[in-house]
Amino acid sequence: MFEFFNQPEVIKIIVIIGSMALFFVGIFGLLTQKHLIKIFMSISMIESSLFLFFIGLMYKKSFLAPILTSNQEGFTNMNDPIPHAMILTAIVIGMAVLALGVSFAIEYYKLTGKTNIDEMTSLRH
Amino acid sequence: MNLKREIPTSTMSGFALSAVLVLTILNILLQNIPTKIQTAGDELLKLNSTEGVANAVTTVVVYFRGFDTLGEIAVLFIASLGIGLMLDSNNRCNIKAESNFMLQTASKFLFPIIMLFGIYVMIYGHLSPGGGFQGGVIIASGVLLLLISHKEFEVPHSVIVLLETFAGVSYVLIGLIGLVVLDTFLGNFLPHDISNMGLLMSGGIIPIIYIIVGIKVGSEMGMIVQNLIKRSDNV
Repeated sequence: MFEFFNQPEVIKIIVIIGSMALFFVGIFGLLTQKHLIKIFMSISMIESSLFLFFIGLMYKKSFLAPILTSNQEGFTNMNDPIPHAMILTAIVIGMAVLALGVSFAIEYYKLTGKTNIDEMTSLRH
Repeated sequence: MNLKREIPTSTMSGFALSAVLVLTILNILLQNIPTKIQTAGDELLKLNSTEGVANAVTTVVVYFRGFDTLGEIAVLFIASLGIGLMLDSNNRCNIKAESNFMLQTASKFLFPIIMLFGIYVMIYGHLSPGGGFQGGVIIASGVLLLLISHKEFEVPHSVIVLLETFAGVSYVLIGLIGLVVLDTFLGNFLPHDISNMGLLMSGGIIPIIYIIVGIKVGSEMGMIVQNLIKRSDNV
């Protein structure tokens, strides 16, 4: 039964549908929520969906992780290491941006006592 | 508002110059598209065996894209700096509530193990899954455990400054030594024999750079966590 899910095309379709679903959950939260922290959570969710998409698209069932162990002869039959390295970069940058945004939200709440973005009208006039 | 205001000739000439430059760069880039872009990963995997590092992701992150990683830790440093400026930790204290007795006792037992695991992940980054970024974040989680369990605990600011300066300066210095010795920024000038692949002492400068990245990420993440968890008295 599970052999069906091991086909490369099926894996790719599952990855695309799943990550796009997570992406649109994040977009929905970004558009509907008014709380500043919830907006940052939605942005983080969109980032996670992109990481899943990028890694999952290059996944091949028969290939191994790109790390040489004592059972292998050389760097053959291995997954592409470039997406892993790119996503490692992207995770760190996303974390730094999220922490900076949360610190801005904390400081804004301390100064004004507001967390709802509809009430942030001090620059509108 | 007058939309038909005059545009200065200096602005127009600057715009034209930048347009010409962008078109030239695009032309150069379009003429040099690699034909075998689909097999770039396989080419890198073949190149990887010349560096004597078992973990191919580590080689890509630290060696082939080493300059990119330098920019990445610069971004992390700027974010840490911004958080430190926004949430100044002077006149602040840890969470007011007295922490649980079980948390206090368990943190004394768990903190050395967490630090040991973080340093292990950092040092063995070229042999096993893990590396500097992951090990640094594990060390920062150990700092977070001490921050939530002990009210008086604080990482001294001078220690953070020392570690971060040491890590950043030595990253650039190793890159410049590679530039002098091998005509490449971050060239692998230490011996990296393929027969040593899989041993701890292998890969030349790659494990050293990943340890440096781990020190930098650990100190920056610890500082971010400490700045976020401390709060001023009047809120």
